[in-house]
Amino acid sequence: MSLAAEAFVSQIAAAEPWPENATLYQPLKEDQILLSDSASSLAVQTFLRMCGLPVLVSCRANAEYMSPSGKVPFIHVGNQVVSELGLIVQFTKAKGHSLSDGLDDVQRAEMKAYMELVNNMLLTAELYIQWCDDYTATEISRPRYSSPYSWPLNHILAYQKQWEVRRKMNAIGWSGKSLEQVYEDVSQCCQALSQRLGTQPYFFNKQPTELDALVFGHLFTILTTQLTNDELAEKVKSYTNLLSFCHRIEQAYFKEHDRESQSGSSRHSKGSLP
Amino acid sequence: MGTVHARSLDPLPMQGPELGVQADDMDLGEPEQEEKQEVLENKDVVVQHVHIDGLGRTKEDILTYEVADVFRAKNLIDVMKKSHEARQKLLRLGIFRHVEVVIDTTEGADALPNGLDVTFEVKELRRMTGSYNTMVGNNEGSMVLGLKLPNVFGRAEKLTFQFSYGTKETSYGLSFFKPQPGHFERNFSINLYKVTGQFPWSSLRETDRGVSTEFSFPIWRTNHTLKWEGVWRELGCLARTASFSVREESGHSLKSSLSHTMVIDTRNSTILPRKGALLKINQELAGYTGGDVSFLKEDFEIQLNKTLFWDSVRCCGGNYCLCLFIAVFYLGGPTSVRGYSMYSIGPQSEGDYLGGEAFWAGGLHLYTPLPFRPGRGGFGELFRTHFFLNAGNLCNLNYGEGPRAHLSKLAECIRWSYGAGIVLRLGNIARLELNYCIPMGVQSGDRICDGVQFGAGIRFL
Repeated sequence: MSLAAEAFVSQIAAAEPWPENATLYQPLKEDQILLSDSASSLAVQTFLRMCGLPVLVSCRANAEYMSPSGKVPFIHVGNQVVSELGLIVQFTKAKGHSLSDGLDDVQRAEMKAYMELVNNMLLTAELYIQWCDDYTATEISRPRYSSPYSWPLNHILAYQKQWEVRRKMNAIGWSGKSLEQVYEDVSQCCQALSQRLGTQPYFFNKQPTELDALVFGHLFTILTTQLTNDELAEKVKSYTNLLSFCHRIEQAYFKEHDRESQSGSSRHSKGSLP
Repeated sequence: MGTVHARSLDPLPMQGPELGVQADDMDLGEPEQEEKQEVLENKDVVVQHVHIDGLGRTKEDILTYEVADVFRAKNLIDVMKKSHEARQKLLRLGIFRHVEVVIDTTEGADALPNGLDVTFEVKELRRMTGSYNTMVGNNEGSMVLGLKLPNVFGRAEKLTFQFSYGTKETSYGLSFFKPQPGHFERNFSINLYKVTGQFPWSSLRETDRGVSTEFSFPIWRTNHTLKWEGVWRELGCLARTASFSVREESGHSLKSSLSHTMVIDTRNSTILPRKGALLKINQELAGYTGGDVSFLKEDFEIQLNKTLFWDSVRCCGGNYCLCLFIAVFYLGGPTSVRGYSMYSIGPQSEGDYLGGEAFWAGGLHLYTPLPFRPGRGGFGELFRTHFFLNAGNLCNLNYGEGPRAHLSKLAECIRWSYGAGIVLRLGNIARLELNYCIPMGVQSGDRICDGVQFGAGIRFL
């Protein structure tokens, strides 16, 4: 985000306290949302819970088009609309809530580096598996993405999204990779995270930060989402400290909503951790 | 008897699906032979042959219907009249550049003493005409390419294509029109289009890609059109500061609708008519033939014109529209209720106008020629001064209450305005207005434009 835009957001945001009716918008949970969007949405929800800020979750079929940047999730706070975790973190910081205040500069740089790692590796791998793997795209991604629309619009939009993601993969050089290589990349990413986490409860020892929220969002969603095969989940499961990390955060921040998330689970999401 | 030429009249514009026939000030040409008139009128004639010269790709079978009437003429004046009518019919097909009529006596072995030959000398339009323009405006430059193929397969089918490529938006339209041979008023057309629009009063940007087919046919004195339309609509926010209600509407939707229109138009001109009336009733039903948008839309429009003393014309008109389930109508601006900003009447959210589900609007105008009549008979005829009184209201429906509550809701908080101005007629299609308006009955939330207001458009209230 540019410097001027940052200053603009901070100035507007600092004016009012966090309202009760702040809402987070994401695609339809049962039928439409895909793995990558679900992970991003969960990351934002976790972050807000960690900050102790209340937010209502509202599912809309056109959430992706409502968002100012085209990416989900986005939050509607007062009369501000902010999308994506990075901007939301800045927005809440301007309102006076922050998880990373206790970190020094070195740690903050490290945190940013790991967040970039998750975004560049895990998120890209999720997108690759969803849209570039033909079998997954045909069986899961296209039918789910286009479910709210009627024929022939559903096919047009699904293929449009697929081409867009494939073009992006081309641009960053992932189109030459095979599925095996992508799984290998995921494994390496998890290894790096696992090593950093070690035996600590959170990445920066006692207090959770936005990095914890982001990692939890992605790993939890990978573990609880049913794809065409279980290989992705297996890669994550092989790192036991990451598994217990996910359990810990689920217990700490989502315990009271366990019943809700289980009843809302579908064929796609398995609800809670195995 | 030597050759008798029927005097050819000035060429009239062609009738196609988009233009109306400029029927005002049209007189039947009278032949010049005063002294011989009595003699000719009493002379019985028989039309033996009708020729059409100059055909290239046009197929003859459609033309036989248009000229068939000429054979029924009984005397010379009748022949001239019927030839003139046949000439009109040939011109309205839209495939000839001009048509000349030549009436001559028959010659040859089977010639009768009172036999006549009528020949229509036609010149076909070129197979393809194209145009290329560049346009600059609204922070956007664009290149517009137009192609027109009249008479594609020889039976008055018309194919038009327009493509606009701009720095911000691209749009195109392809249209195919085919009349039924012998009954030009019965026709069908297929259209394919993509249009984009920006609506700053609602902070909305819209892209429509659609296909439609329509059938038109006359029944007695009315003209009916049945149309099926499928549209893929994409809405987006024009600015980051758009209100959340508008943001919620963003996204894609598919509409598949059937509509029926009935028109009775006895006016002598579509722009600044002097006499006649217009009644137009339109229904549109969406959702039963696919798509994910359902609504029922009704539209009534009425206009009455009457010439008063001193060449002034009184015109009163009204419009009432209703749409169930979706707010699609906007009201206000120089083309509807004057004195208000463009589409700035009715429900709004944070400065963006959301539109309403029903509205009515009415107007009473008095058109007079310019004072002191400058440029009389020429350029000055394109101008008129007009005094107007406009009123209207826009609201959302409440489905729980009955029609009486709906009518009373439309009757409260009426916005109205009055004023005077100058109107300029552009060809037969559009109109420019410069008015001084005084808006009244303004409700909170409406944006007004009192004082001088300029408007340009095709359909005015």
